[in-house]
Formats: sequence, structure tokens, C-alpha cells
Amino acid sequence: MALADRTGVSTALRVFVRQLPLLSGIFCAFLANIPISIAGGALPPPLLALVPVYFWCLVRPDLMTPAAAFGIGLAEDVLCGGSPGVWTLSFALTYAVVARSRDSFAGLSGLGAVLGFSVAALVACVSAYTIMALSHWNLPSPGPSVSELAMTVLFYIPTAMAIGALHHRLIGPLRSDA
Amino acid sequence: MANGAWKIARGRGNAQLPLVVVVALALILVLLGMSKAQSGMFDQVRAHVTDFLAPTLEWARGPIHGFNRWMGSIGEIFSVYEQNLKLKEENARLRQWRNAEIVLEGRVRHYQALLKAVPDSKLNAVLARVIGRSSKPFLQTLILNAGTRHNAQPGQAVIDASGMIGRIYISGQRTSWVILLTDLNSRIPVTIAPGNVQAILTGDNTRMPMLEQLARTATVKAGDQVVSSGDGGLLPQGLPVGTVVSDGKGGWRVALLADASQSQDVEILNFAEPPEQLPPDAQLPVEAAGFKPMPPPPASSAQPPQTQPGAATSSRPSAPNPATAANAQAAATPALKPVAPPAQAPVPAPTSPAPESDDGISADQ
Repeated sequence: MALADRTGVSTALRVFVRQLPLLSGIFCAFLANIPISIAGGALPPPLLALVPVYFWCLVRPDLMTPAAAFGIGLAEDVLCGGSPGVWTLSFALTYAVVARSRDSFAGLSGLGAVLGFSVAALVACVSAYTIMALSHWNLPSPGPSVSELAMTVLFYIPTAMAIGALHHRLIGPLRSDA
Repeated sequence: MANGAWKIARGRGNAQLPLVVVVALALILVLLGMSKAQSGMFDQVRAHVTDFLAPTLEWARGPIHGFNRWMGSIGEIFSVYEQNLKLKEENARLRQWRNAEIVLEGRVRHYQALLKAVPDSKLNAVLARVIGRSSKPFLQTLILNAGTRHNAQPGQAVIDASGMIGRIYISGQRTSWVILLTDLNSRIPVTIAPGNVQAILTGDNTRMPMLEQLARTATVKAGDQVVSSGDGGLLPQGLPVGTVVSDGKGGWRVALLADASQSQDVEILNFAEPPEQLPPDAQLPVEAAGFKPMPPPPASSAQPPQTQPGAATSSRPSAPNPATAANAQAAATPALKPVAPPAQAPVPAPTSPAPESDDGISADQ
């Protein structure tokens, strides 16, 4: 009985941990889209939700699936208040680029890792810009997109550290158990 | 970072949705969003999330606002003296303008009464507080603490003390999202004074939105005033928006009067254009009411001696009821009285009753 309970708890925990990349992505989207600006609206919020997508797409693509990237992009779309599908498609395209060049991205470390993420963020921002330009049939000002890209890269290091800690504490042991 | 130190899994899940399918689904979502078919569902979710977060946002607003003010005031410490002088000068100038405005307002009221002009629509307003703001690359919004419970509806104009800042596009029960005039999705019809030039004010996520669809023959110059035109009946007419500036490339932009990044308390204008109705017969001149004009009365006995010259020429209706006669006389009276010269303003009282509709809108408003 105790063994069964323990097995049940373990299974539930395992299921929860397997959803952790998706949940952390949604949490990051929520965090970045809280409509409070310390800079008085002068600076756009970073695309925090892209960090889990990038990180787990490289480290554990079996947990950060294309469907999970789709869900995180959808959450970003719903929470940011913009046109539906813009960030969903952008995240899916970024996921595709990162997944295709996974070996190149995964081997980066230090400043190279930041540059690798910058490329991913650039893909996401350019995708979103292109979608908006096509949907409005008008070229929007690129300044805000550049600011968002800079903020996203700036916030990559602390967010990646937090996600790395989460990975080591929860997802890493899950992998060794398996 | 230390990506290289992490173990990289090579395996992929068997039950994954293929990447191509996900991209195709996302593309379909974009197309649906463009067609506005699914936007309503997204908006409802957003409204629920914001309603849920409203107490937290209001709680967090105070410290953040205080911090922003403190940060903003650091740079102003060194220019307090100059600012004080400027403000005194501006205050004196505004007092002069206020006096002129009172005189002109009285004159306009008088002319409206004389001309029996269709009165401007009466606007109800809901005072709301900004509890959130987001400045995304493709979306610039404010979140207000007033929703459908407070009669705030999508489409209503939002103004602050300086001028128009945007309009509501999502209303939850307790909160509303405002699309700013600078937003990429914002398009409002405007009028450029003094030439009464019609144009569309189009946001492009810069601080100064563009003026589009100007007529080729339109003459616009920098410094012209831009107000909402009221075309389409979505927004009230005459809301101050900004002034025209050149973009240096042959086009025109608008420097907005209101700075949405500084707005804290705003008004939501409840604009619903009331249907224009004819005034009741009792308020019309006799001819307009369908009665025959009276022949001029004999000058001998019917005229009381104290009546002023000229009053005898007013048509005395052979009115079937006294109310019509009284109103006809009242309606005819203004034409007989000398108009006060402009120098005698401020406010000459209108001599005829202002037409008042059923919803209380009168000509003096």
C-alpha cells in the first residue's frame, strides 16, 4: 500500500515535472505582461517567455515540444493584448530555427550562449515584425522592436540562471530516475 | 552561459505534434486574428485576466507611481527656479485666455440661440484611474479601473486634462483596456482647423501619429489644431487631439496634446449620439408648425400704446391654442431685438427659450 502510494505520488510528481517547461514558459509570459512599468512605459518589457523555449529546446527537447512552444506563444498572445497569433507563430518559427541548428546552439557557452540566444530573440522579433507589417500592410517603426530585442537579451542571463537552477533541482533528478 | 555543461537529450518524444503542423496552426491563428473572427474570444480572456488582477494592480500602482515620480523629479531639482518663472508667465497668459474664452463662449451661446442651432450632444463621463500600462512594440495600452459595471464600453473616447489619449477596445466588468492614439492599430477621423480639413489620424507606435488620407487640395501647415471630427458617430466631435507638425518628408504628423505616459486620472466619455428629433410644434414658429401666418393687425385700436415700435409687426397667430401663440411670439422676438455688439459681451441672455429635447439636451449646452 505504502509502495503504491509512493508510486502514485512519484507518478504525479513526474507528470508535474514534465510539464514544468511549459508552466515556466507560461509563468514567464505572465510575469513579463504584468501591466506595470517601472520606466513609465519608456521601455518595452522583455520577451521572458522565449528563454524557457530556447533553454529547454536545447537541453530537453522531449519536454519542450513544438506543442509546448505553441502553448507558450499562445499565452504570450493572450496576455500581451495584441493581435492573436503573432507571438504564437513567432515562437513556433524560433523553435524551428533553434531545433534545426540545435547542435550549433548547444555547444555555445559564456558570451557565446548569450549571442546564441540573441540570434533566437532576433528571429522571434523579426518574425513578429514581419507578421505585423504584412497584416497591417504598413511598415511599423522598428525602434520599439529593437528596444524589445535589447531588453530580452539583457534579461536573458538572470532568467536563464533561474531556469537553470529549476532544471538542476527538479528536471535533472527526473532524468536520472528514468 | 554554461549551456555546454548541461546534458543534452537527444531523444524526442514520440507523441509530439510535428513542427510543421504547429507552424501551420499558428499561421491559421494569425489569419483568424486578422479577420477579427477570434479576437472576441481572446479579448474575453484578457478581460477576465485583467479583472482578476485588478486589485493587485491597484495595490501595486501606488509604490510604482511614487517611484516613477521620484525618479522623474530628480532631474527637475536643478531647474525649479526656471520652471517657477515659466509657470508664472504661463499662468498669467492662461488667465487672459480664460477671460477671452468666457466672452467668446457667451457669444457662441447667444448665436446658437438666435440660429436655433442643433445643440451639441451631451456627454456623460466616467472618471477612471490608470492602474496599468504596457508599451509593447506592437501595442500601446492603458488599463483603467472602470469597466462595464461603470458603463464603460468599447469604442468610447478616453481623455485626460490635456486632450484625447485613446479609446476603449476591451471592457471587462471592472477594468478596461485603452488603445492609445499612438498605437499601430489606432485610426480615428479628425478635422484640422482652421481649414476644416478632414483626415485620418493613424498610429504607428511613434510618439507622433501620422495624418493620412488628406485631400490633395487640402492646405495644411504646421501648428494647425487637430480635433476629432465625429465622423461615423464613434467619437464625439471636437475633442482636442494635438497640433500638426511636419515629418520632414513631405508628410504631416500630430504632436499630441496629452501625454499618455503621464496620465493618471482620465475620463471615459459616454458618447451615444441621440437621434435628432424635431422640436414639438409648440416650440416652432407658426409657419413651421403648419399654421397660416396672421395678417397684420389693424394699426388703430388693437395695438396697446406701450408696445415698442416694431413689435406690432410680429405675426400674432390666429392660434387655436394659447401656448402656440405664446411660443410663436417668443420665437419671433429675437429677430426683433438688437443683437448685442461683441464689445458688450460677456453673456447676453438668449431671448428665446432654448429648444430642449427629451433627454435634457438644450441649446445652451
